[in-house]
Amino acid sequence: MSATTSEAHRFRPLVARRSGLLTRHPRITISVLLLGTLAGLAVFAPLITQYDPMTLAVTQRLRPPSAAHWFGTDAYGRDTFSRTIYGGRISMQIGLSVAAVSVAIGVVVGMLGGAIRWLDPIVMRISDGLMSIPGILLAIALMSLTKASVATVIIAITIPEVPRVVRLVRSLVLTIREQTYMQAAVSSGTRLPRLMLRHILPNVVTPLIVQATYICASAVLIEAYLGFLGAGTPPEVPSWGNIIAENRTFVQLASWNIMFPGAFLALMVLGVNMLGDGVRDLLDPRLAGRIGK
Amino acid sequence: MTELGAAEPQSPAAEESAVLRIEDLRTQFLAHGGIARAVDGVSYHVNRGETLGVVGESGCGKSVTALSVMRLVPDPPGRIVGGRVLLHGRDLLELDEPAMRRVRGNQIGMIFQEPMTSLNPVLTVGRQIEEVVELHQNLSARQAAERAVEMLRLVHIPEPQRRVREYPHQLSGGMRQRVMIAMALSCSPEVLIADEPTTALDVTIQAQILELIREMQERTGTAIVLITHDLGVVAETANRVVVMYAGKKVEEAPVMALFDAPLHPYTRGLMVSMPRLDSPAGQERGTLPEIPGMVPSLSALPEGCRFAPRCPLAAQQCREEPPLKEYAPGHFAACWRAGE
Repeated sequence: MSATTSEAHRFRPLVARRSGLLTRHPRITISVLLLGTLAGLAVFAPLITQYDPMTLAVTQRLRPPSAAHWFGTDAYGRDTFSRTIYGGRISMQIGLSVAAVSVAIGVVVGMLGGAIRWLDPIVMRISDGLMSIPGILLAIALMSLTKASVATVIIAITIPEVPRVVRLVRSLVLTIREQTYMQAAVSSGTRLPRLMLRHILPNVVTPLIVQATYICASAVLIEAYLGFLGAGTPPEVPSWGNIIAENRTFVQLASWNIMFPGAFLALMVLGVNMLGDGVRDLLDPRLAGRIGK
Repeated sequence: MTELGAAEPQSPAAEESAVLRIEDLRTQFLAHGGIARAVDGVSYHVNRGETLGVVGESGCGKSVTALSVMRLVPDPPGRIVGGRVLLHGRDLLELDEPAMRRVRGNQIGMIFQEPMTSLNPVLTVGRQIEEVVELHQNLSARQAAERAVEMLRLVHIPEPQRRVREYPHQLSGGMRQRVMIAMALSCSPEVLIADEPTTALDVTIQAQILELIREMQERTGTAIVLITHDLGVVAETANRVVVMYAGKKVEEAPVMALFDAPLHPYTRGLMVSMPRLDSPAGQERGTLPEIPGMVPSLSALPEGCRFAPRCPLAAQQCREEPPLKEYAPGHFAACWRAGE
């Protein structure tokens, strides 16, 4: 049976691809390990360190890294290691929330814009308006209008990100709409809502996942910028931006207070971006193959 | 079938079995140069169990006619400005959108030219067939899934139980076209519009797909409108042929009559420009004859006969529009010098 042998042939690489997932996609492996470690530190922070990130210890001020204080202490004698891993909680919370919320809003608005002709220009002009203001400036303005809290930071970072998702989704919808398979779906009597949800949405998911990781990375960075500028989370919250900001006065005396949270921030953003690239290559094998060769 | 007679004031013999009848259909596009009359007063019908071939060059309006039947002409810039599309005597152009959706895929199925792009790449082929079935038939998810497997088996896809879970990129072009046919026929439509179903396939696969279409027709009695520019496909598959040129029907005939005695100079031009294996002995194997000139722009059509500028027989008379006349039973042509 020539049919069955060719089937077997066709099937083998698929199986191989699945089992070799981690070795064939080193970027995903590395980024997952990196992010997993950071997430583990953040989630299990109370178990890992005995120091409370908020407790002041006046006698222990500005101590360099040692066995007792791995990352040293800051100007108030607080343990920097403890503050750094607790800071990871804030960063992750903000990164994930911003990515989830902006993608959720962006998908709905972008799909509506792409599907409904009269709505499209309205949506697009509002997006243009929002995008014409630099994201950080908009976030600072939004923060100055409200009381500082983690939730308001999330909202302030989300709003400038939404139009980017809207534009991406809308452009994808417009492209996919013109495909023959959409015409085939319409010619089998499919209604618009079903077309959008069943036929277009699955085509949008891959680029959206990738976009979501980039948004996550940029949200983590923007949170740090805002914290550094004093326009982010309340100063008592140990976010990486806040830690760096309040220790910059002592950078010559105690550089570890800036280096360690800075390194964590960089590693986290690197990990998220690598994950995004890896996922893109995994989900779009054609593109990955071309680059791989 | 009682409503048939009431709505149709035309020749009783033809209407009896005509499933789909297009009357004086006019579809226009608003192009930069003005109005392009892509379909300009085209009429044809197709009977139950019959295959109607619609032939013509690219841009002659054969596909737009089909899209007009499905009411899928992009509007704007396209617009159906006149005529009737009767499915069992019911004018589809007068239906509201929900009623039209019940017709699409259910009573009229459609196959497209490009099997590579006419299946959604992110849905399994089974899912895509189930979609159509679920839209039009009151089936449970399980029944729809069974129906998908059954349809794949009907179109001779090996191991249908496994294939339903595969994605389009895992199938070859011929297989995908089989899936398209399965999709289009999953609700047993009365009319199947096949828009160049074999153009993108290689010749052996073409023959298989045509054979499959024929087989499915015998099984279901579906009326088929086969749009193609390949006279070979028409000769092999169609019962009757409509030849279109620049948005108009120029000739209509039973397939044998058309190949034996083409009346319109355009049809004859098409015939002689086909490569033949049985070219008479002694004849030089030189360049293939061609029809000189190009299809006129649909927004700047010549007056009178549209083929006249390219026609070797063109005369003074051809400045006036030639009427469609019946020269032999069932053999119509729109030409002043038909058969000369």
